[in-house]
Amino acid sequence: MISRRLFFLSALTAGLGSLVIADELQHPACLADERNFFTDEVWGKVVGRTCLKCHKAGGDAEDSELTLLDPSLDGALEKNRERLTKFAKRRDPKSGKSRVLLKVIGELDHGGEDVLTKGSTRYRILEDFVRRANGERPAPLALANKKPFFEGVRMIDDRKLLRRLTLQLGARLPAPEEYATVQERGLPAISLVLDDLMNEEAFYDRLAEGFNDIFLTPGIDDVAENVLSYEHFDKTRHWYQKEDFSHIKDEQKRKEAGWELARHYRESIQREPMELVKFIVRNKRPFTELITADYIMVSPYSARGYGIYEEVKDRFKDIGNRFEYIPVRLKALKGRSEKTNQESATGFYPHAGLLSTFQYLKRYPTTETNRNRLRVRMYFQHFLGIDIMQLAPRGNDAAAITAKYEVPTMQATDCVVCHKVIDPVAGVFQDFYALDGKGVYQPRAEGWFDDMFPPGHEGEALPESERWRGLQWLGERTAKDPRFAIAMVEHVWYILNGRKALRPPEDIDHPLFAARQRAYSGQRREIELIAKQFASDNFNLKSVFRALALSKFYRADGLATVADYPARMAELGDLGVVRLLSPEQIERKLKAIFGSDWGPLNDQFNILYGGIDSKEVTERIADPSGAMGAIQRMMANEIACRQVPTDFARKPEERLLFPGIEPDVVPSSGNEAKLREVIVHLHQRLLGRFDKGDSAEVDRTYELFAGIIEEANERGQFEPREIYSCRVQGEGEKRVEDPHYTMRAWRAVVTYLLRQHEFLYE
Amino acid sequence: MRRDFIKLCGLAGLGVAAPVSGVRAATKEPDAYEGPYFAVFNASGGWDTTYLMDPKGVGETNRLYKQGDILTEGAINFAPNAAHIDRAKEGNLSNEDFFKRYASELLVLNGLDYSVNNHAPCSRYMATGKLDSLAYPTFAALAAAAKGPECPLAFLTFGNYSNTGNIVPMARVPYLPTLGRIANADCVEGNPRSPYHEDFVNDRIEAALRRQSDVRASQVRLPRVEHAHSMLYAAQLNAKALQRVTPFINQKPPRERLAQQAEIALASFKAGVCVSANLSIGQFDSHANNDRDQMKLIPELLGGIDYMLRRAEELGIRDRLVIVMQSEMGRTPNYNKGEGKDHWSIGSMMFLGPGIKGNRVIGSTDEGQFLNPIDAKTLAIAKDPDKGLRVRPENVHQSLRDFAGIAEHEASLKFPFVIPEGKRLRGSLFG
Repeated sequence: MISRRLFFLSALTAGLGSLVIADELQHPACLADERNFFTDEVWGKVVGRTCLKCHKAGGDAEDSELTLLDPSLDGALEKNRERLTKFAKRRDPKSGKSRVLLKVIGELDHGGEDVLTKGSTRYRILEDFVRRANGERPAPLALANKKPFFEGVRMIDDRKLLRRLTLQLGARLPAPEEYATVQERGLPAISLVLDDLMNEEAFYDRLAEGFNDIFLTPGIDDVAENVLSYEHFDKTRHWYQKEDFSHIKDEQKRKEAGWELARHYRESIQREPMELVKFIVRNKRPFTELITADYIMVSPYSARGYGIYEEVKDRFKDIGNRFEYIPVRLKALKGRSEKTNQESATGFYPHAGLLSTFQYLKRYPTTETNRNRLRVRMYFQHFLGIDIMQLAPRGNDAAAITAKYEVPTMQATDCVVCHKVIDPVAGVFQDFYALDGKGVYQPRAEGWFDDMFPPGHEGEALPESERWRGLQWLGERTAKDPRFAIAMVEHVWYILNGRKALRPPEDIDHPLFAARQRAYSGQRREIELIAKQFASDNFNLKSVFRALALSKFYRADGLATVADYPARMAELGDLGVVRLLSPEQIERKLKAIFGSDWGPLNDQFNILYGGIDSKEVTERIADPSGAMGAIQRMMANEIACRQVPTDFARKPEERLLFPGIEPDVVPSSGNEAKLREVIVHLHQRLLGRFDKGDSAEVDRTYELFAGIIEEANERGQFEPREIYSCRVQGEGEKRVEDPHYTMRAWRAVVTYLLRQHEFLYE
Repeated sequence: MRRDFIKLCGLAGLGVAAPVSGVRAATKEPDAYEGPYFAVFNASGGWDTTYLMDPKGVGETNRLYKQGDILTEGAINFAPNAAHIDRAKEGNLSNEDFFKRYASELLVLNGLDYSVNNHAPCSRYMATGKLDSLAYPTFAALAAAAKGPECPLAFLTFGNYSNTGNIVPMARVPYLPTLGRIANADCVEGNPRSPYHEDFVNDRIEAALRRQSDVRASQVRLPRVEHAHSMLYAAQLNAKALQRVTPFINQKPPRERLAQQAEIALASFKAGVCVSANLSIGQFDSHANNDRDQMKLIPELLGGIDYMLRRAEELGIRDRLVIVMQSEMGRTPNYNKGEGKDHWSIGSMMFLGPGIKGNRVIGSTDEGQFLNPIDAKTLAIAKDPDKGLRVRPENVHQSLRDFAGIAEHEASLKFPFVIPEGKRLRGSLFG
């Protein structure tokens, strides 16, 4: 049973990595032995990638003379080795040649035809395996890398790690006592701080933001309330249009109040899916509820849209709070006619966590010809961590195949290999077949397609009695699938690192394949390990954040020694967080440091600075363009202009930037120590650096400050006031006096610091 | 030492070399890039080529015209559509007008084999020429990395598959006014007369950042850290060159979405801060009502291309502008039950610009919209189809690289096409 669940593509994603890395890290061998040869070469490069797709239970070649076991099962690899070794000894009686070598090039009636090219690297590996199986002398093998993966890699200072985590997950700087604890007790103390941090409201907001980057549920091609269909919510979904604003006398203001209500209602609907994520994590519920929860989250506003407000209003603490959410189990949908009523054996809507939400189904809609396949693709990607489309195999002639077969997806080998997996799951979604954006629930009038593989999941048929709750049926199986836990760890990896975990390298002929494979395997092993802990911790998602935050992959920060050869460079290529902060993260960081944000990065410059809109722009930018460089300059200029005079206007004990100094302190031998102390403070507050007063970094900043004042004086008379734009916030038009040019020099220092890597990256 | 490091990074698949090596040594903003400029227009979702440059009109392929209605301009056949589009709509252009204006310059490639027929892999394949890799850069990104990596908006994208291969940053500039604002980042509200800092202060800030960058470059760092430091330094330094855009920002921007994208790209081209742009309009995926959707979108696409060419003429850069027109797939030669057409793995492309010999059609499809293989050398239809070449995106991209003069550039060599003998084009597509 479990093998059926584990099959499709798991060798390419989950199982393979652990097999390879386990040997690699634990047995730094010299010459790879037979077992390693099978694991790394035969399985890792050929069989696991090429043969397993069909030669497995439930696969297209399940009835052939060779069937393989899923590699993530205990002992499966060894059994596969035995089976293949036995198979490799068989010879074609006619030609006397190895049957396996003939089959892979399309001879001897191979159902999959020519999966390898004679003479290719993969073919040569198989050839070598056959030679070995038959007791012949093997081809020489390359030396394996002996060194531990993290050798020579420096980990981040614990205090810097603390700051990174509080900013990333809590939108704040560490408290002094947190710094003190971590300085005293080191890494273990960070775990304790994290426990508290992950109970703060900012963490849940970050959680929602991070998972939104993955699920993108607000990106529907319609106004938000139209996730609720006319057919089932015609009387309630536009409730806001009937609100009475007659008490507002001014017509324009009355209109604006209506618009604002609509905006808030729409936002409250958009937020629901991520509120589910927050609710699960906040209440320490197993994160499997992401796909099994028998409820949705509703706010006082969205409850009106569902028509359940009167039923649930007493459960809200504040019915005026449009963003207060409670879990609710909806009754089965009632249509405008009986014909369109939702079938339900329990009388309730068959909720299956995020998967069955109106927002998710509307975000990934279906069409007459797509037949829910987009949803299946997203299901595999979101809940099992498998991208079934990204590396679609090239067909021999897709157009000819389409024309040749009546039902190519069930008949043509090129198509069947994927559709046998995809189409049954598409059938599980069959009751959600509303077309043209007209809601989501609507079974197909003619019944589900019979020119598709029948509904089910990985070889298990969906019983007709379960059809009405098909998504729940799917969710229950998904939650038990080990790939679910791995996928969730990968999601958290993405949230923390800003990029996806590595995928296995494809080009086995590349000279750095082994190094890239090692880099991938290292990550994979860590992810699988954490996934197991996650599952055994009752799927508490916070445990994943904790484990990943403390892992060496998240803490790797530098090199103790030069990595001066390409293979090692390739191994280290993905190490280190080094994440360009998103526009939202920069705004939050500014607020944490200065007490107020900038603004435009949440607004007019959001997309230009690499933000997403969840609909058309769905990937965040990893490297800054020149345009983003311009925004960084603009931000640094404006923030310095706004904050420096404002901070000096505060009482000394309330200052955030210049606690121990006044603007009349100019560079001199007597003042230098004091000025350097301020710079050390600025470095820590703005950049998270812990520099000493006589360090090179502080020297450079001091020289900038002192040099500006010196040059201003050398140039003769200067304007004794700051520029008009750089005034104290909240003090109107009054210009700031700057008789010593120190205000402008400090402003230059802050500008300089805000343009640095330590501020703009994580 | 630095060169060695770059070489190592290149081998390791890291994008340090191209954008940074030229910049680090520089202490001033980069010179203006003077062309050629590359604009790639994407009909995202899959256009119906039988309603454009590969007309059929037979059987159930097209309901809006018959074979006898097919029009010809020079050597190019095209489907008539003037009677079926909203010609009054601002920015729309009929096939008749488009081919009349540009046939003499147009190169049409019919019978392109996309090999697969799903959006994600097809988009990637068409944009990069590589189906089985997620790492390859789009042609537009590659051209930017090879020809003007120091340009602040070297590679502009407005959507569609836009992978950079980590060799050049991508820039998204959604609105024209935004371009104006970022052009003067060191001035209050973008007003060049109101700088935040006096010039000598700015110079000192830049000098301090440069010194810091130099110190960091000499330190031992993780490859990603090295990469990030370099990209950041280059981005901020190059941003200064954006000031050159200001005089070319159209004060009366057009309303049409492709024309707006074209304006941003053209102002950036003209200012010498951009090498390539990926322009895109979506919704071509006409599963539900093919003719309605295609008749709405094809005129919009052609109108956008026409706008770009006319504005380029006004700006005096038309003679340096290369345009590639493509979509990730074609549409089936028959209609489904919903009046729509589904995905089809055979399609077409069009090219126009300096160095491209126009009034030509390479390749063809038969009445069933299957491709006719071509002779790899003469590019004519192969006499023996079994020995002919099925032109695929890697063939087109190799030709584009050759045409752009970047095939031997370090960035291209990092992302090679290994095309087996017998599947290579031996003649030049572009004449």
